[in-house]
Amino acid sequence: MPLDTSSYTLALLRLDGRRWNELRRITAQISTTPSADGSSYLEMGNTKVLCTVSGPIEGQGTRERDRADIRVEIGVAGFSGVDRKRVGRGDKRIAELQSTLQNTFASSLLTTLFPHSLININLHVLSQDGSLLAALLNASTLALIDAGIPMLNYITACTAGSTSSYSSNDEAADPLLDLNSAEEQELPFLTVATLGGGDEVAVLVCETRVQLGRVEGMLAVGVDGCKQIREILDGVVRESGKKVLQSRV
Amino acid sequence: MAPSSTQHVLLSPAELSYIHASLSHNPPIRPDGRSATQFRPLTAECDILPGTNGSARITFADGTEAVVGVKAEVEKSRAPYQVTQDELIGGDGEAQRAGLNEWVELSVEIPGFRDDDSMPVFLAAMMSEALLADGEFTKRLWINRRFHWKLYLDILLLSPPLSYPLPLLSLTAHLALLSTRLPRLKSELDEDPLFDDDWDASVYLYPRNKQSLLHRPPVTLLVMAVSDNIIFDASKEELAVADVVLAVSVGERPRSNEGDMEVDSGKVRDLRLLTVRTVDPPSRLTSSGVPNVLNTATGGTAATTTEKASSQREAMVEEGVWQPPRGGAKRKLIAAMISKVLEQGGVAEEVMDGLDGVELG
Repeated sequence: MPLDTSSYTLALLRLDGRRWNELRRITAQISTTPSADGSSYLEMGNTKVLCTVSGPIEGQGTRERDRADIRVEIGVAGFSGVDRKRVGRGDKRIAELQSTLQNTFASSLLTTLFPHSLININLHVLSQDGSLLAALLNASTLALIDAGIPMLNYITACTAGSTSSYSSNDEAADPLLDLNSAEEQELPFLTVATLGGGDEVAVLVCETRVQLGRVEGMLAVGVDGCKQIREILDGVVRESGKKVLQSRV
Repeated sequence: MAPSSTQHVLLSPAELSYIHASLSHNPPIRPDGRSATQFRPLTAECDILPGTNGSARITFADGTEAVVGVKAEVEKSRAPYQVTQDELIGGDGEAQRAGLNEWVELSVEIPGFRDDDSMPVFLAAMMSEALLADGEFTKRLWINRRFHWKLYLDILLLSPPLSYPLPLLSLTAHLALLSTRLPRLKSELDEDPLFDDDWDASVYLYPRNKQSLLHRPPVTLLVMAVSDNIIFDASKEELAVADVVLAVSVGERPRSNEGDMEVDSGKVRDLRLLTVRTVDPPSRLTSSGVPNVLNTATGGTAATTTEKASSQREAMVEEGVWQPPRGGAKRKLIAAMISKVLEQGGVAEEVMDGLDGVELG
């Protein structure tokens, strides 16, 4: 339905005026919450996520002895969707998002430098319009950088979809970059995250059915999108660092 | 998410008695040099979430931050249990407007606390109590006899609660309600509600005329007292030595003539008290100091059993040795605290004027 309008068939423009390989407007700021060790605020289109990181702090009975434990908590605000919907923290979908983030950062952060300690990542979703997992990963990366926790590289994420539904056989199906919520409801899509904007995929989540032949195209477009996002996020971090240095002069 | 020990202020009995003594002074000497009624700077912004009917975010000077989003939905009204003759005849529209408390749903989310923990539940109950106390608010949600607006206020505390979060959450909710807009009603009387699609034509929940607001949502302030001094906007350290802490909710009486109050209204507000709640001050959880006569290290004699130790300690009131406050507050002190909040040109007016000045997007 999002692509049924004449604008797509005639000019290959999506409902919001983007082409197949264009990202939405991405803005981010770090150090937004001075009381936390690290914090960030990220907007991918209308998806707005706020992240605070505290750590490494003293762990209490942490599971692993030789590395830091990472705990992720996601709170989705009741006003984040179009209709007001209160989601409790025990929700299965939220639990899965938390566990995905936990596993991702357990491998990219240098946790062996902080044995017996705990790193808390607290995320608040203020507005949802597609690419939720991607926004959560990007915001967490920025907040962890702001907290000064050593890591191998940026984890940047974005979504990629396909214009075909899983049953159609047409060869003219295009991959799409960065879907909003209307597109996510109708089209197959996946979320991919890379380490450092290169070709190493750190996260790949696909919950919709899609023909196997389409996956490679979607993945390629997604990885390219991650590279673009890495440049944007790196720019934000450097800008913020410059400001800090200038204020100390 | 931080461990709970960081929520208690780590001050020794000597430091506690020092702060208590300086706050009992006349005029009180506060650790950061403010006057008794001076607030710390805060940043406030409105309309930050375009997907909501109203939103606000306030950051206090100590780094605590809160975001509030207001969403409204049209809901079918339940038929009243007893329909009186007057209502059947369909009398004056204004007289029939009555709201129900269930049309407002308020929820508070605090990081590190579950939804059914006592703190978020208690804070939500206190704030909705203040909002619904005068019955004026729910009247605004009435559309016609068959439909009404259901308002959802979601209050998020973004930082772990360093000090008692009630005033921060209340101010943010107040600001969010001020910025709340509802679509303009196009239908008439009791037919199915039809609204104007143009968001620019939307109506503020708290309408404003050229000068100022005609009626404002309530505000809850935390007031504390040490000896006879009444202190506002207490920091963590000051709360740790408080004798009495009250949460006072203040509202405004709606103005009767909406037309000709422009010249002589000026800054005079008709404030009225909505609710008062006592808050158990964190000073009760502090440990007391040991006076020299009971300390063997300084030549005194320590008691042999714990019962003797506590009874000796209770009997002794030595200046300069900290003891957590016991018992309640004098009635005169409570009355003085409440009237200090409500007085003309006082703290509540200042807070409301300040919030009114925040530019609405």
